[in-house]
Amino acid sequence: MDAQALLQAITGVNPAAQERPNTNVPAVQVPVAGLHAFLQVLRDDPRFSFDFLLDHTAIDWMADGKFELVYQLFSTLHGHTLMVGVLIEREQPLAPTVSDLWPIAEWQEREVYDLFGIPYDDHPDLRRLFLEDDWTGYPLRKDYQDKNMLQRPQ
Amino acid sequence: MVDNIPGIVENFPGGSILVTTIDSIINASRANSLWPLGFGTKCCAIEMLMATGASHQDISRFGAEVVRGSTRQADLMIVAGAIVRKMAPRVRLLYEQMAEPRYVIATGACSICGGPFQYNSYHIVHGVDEIIPVDVYVPGCPPRPEAFFWGLLALQRLIKEGESIRRPDIRRKPVMASLPQGITMDDIQGEMRRLLEEQNVVNVAESAENKIWTKRLKEWMRKPSSKP
Repeated sequence: MDAQALLQAITGVNPAAQERPNTNVPAVQVPVAGLHAFLQVLRDDPRFSFDFLLDHTAIDWMADGKFELVYQLFSTLHGHTLMVGVLIEREQPLAPTVSDLWPIAEWQEREVYDLFGIPYDDHPDLRRLFLEDDWTGYPLRKDYQDKNMLQRPQ
Repeated sequence: MVDNIPGIVENFPGGSILVTTIDSIINASRANSLWPLGFGTKCCAIEMLMATGASHQDISRFGAEVVRGSTRQADLMIVAGAIVRKMAPRVRLLYEQMAEPRYVIATGACSICGGPFQYNSYHIVHGVDEIIPVDVYVPGCPPRPEAFFWGLLALQRLIKEGESIRRPDIRRKPVMASLPQGITMDDIQGEMRRLLEEQNVVNVAESAENKIWTKRLKEWMRKPSSKP
């Protein structure tokens, strides 16, 4: 499926999905409500069959008060890719886990939890992945401060 | 006990000659058989351990080739690349596992000061000398193999000049060995070759101190015996 047909088919499945600008792959932005069901459709529908979660990360839009969860999906059957962006609140972040759909998401969500501090609902094993267990704070947040950090002199 | 041996030996006539001779033998063998630890943390390792170890530059001609996987057999640690805060206790552990005498070369901007990650990063150690003592700094990002050989030459000079069994546990000051302009690989390797050939023969009577001692030794030999 080419990009235009893919986006049209996705809009047919989920009317709330909007095309996400400024990307080099087909990308949609969906609300966090119904995210798990939407991703399950993307995985199971034979038109899409996104059976491979390439990457999952997050973006800190501190000025807007939002986190954006990013899911990079790939279909080994059809060979097409899709980026799904989900905006969630920065103050009380909470996201559904997709580790029951793609098992690799378990560690990818642990990484996002480690560096951004986004807790995942129903995650089987939500611990820090890279940093030490006694680390305080989430260093990829834009407002992270640390006594060992050097500020760039102006 | 072993530390006291130089003090005991030096009281005898000619003892100082023995000590300095042992010094020069030990230093020459230490300087010309540096065994680096196979330890690379970032892109500097490609220049330092792989390019210099490969056939074009070929560090093995200068006695520093036998890259050891075990810290207990190595005596040169080349910190090639950035050290992150999670890695820092491991680096310290590796350093402490190495047997004395041990030398550290810090190569590249990252291991000297943090490099491009110095500001606004949560993970970097601002220079590996925060956790282990460094003997020679080799600046560059990454340094060329020439620059690394220049640093190795500086370290060899440090070892040959600086150490004595009279004063164990004395550390030399670290040096910054930045490659001067216009020095080529051929110059460095020619210098290394010259030093190697020069060090092949340990001439006892060459240094000024030894000459004095040789003179005194001869006088002592000429002295009439006090025996009846």
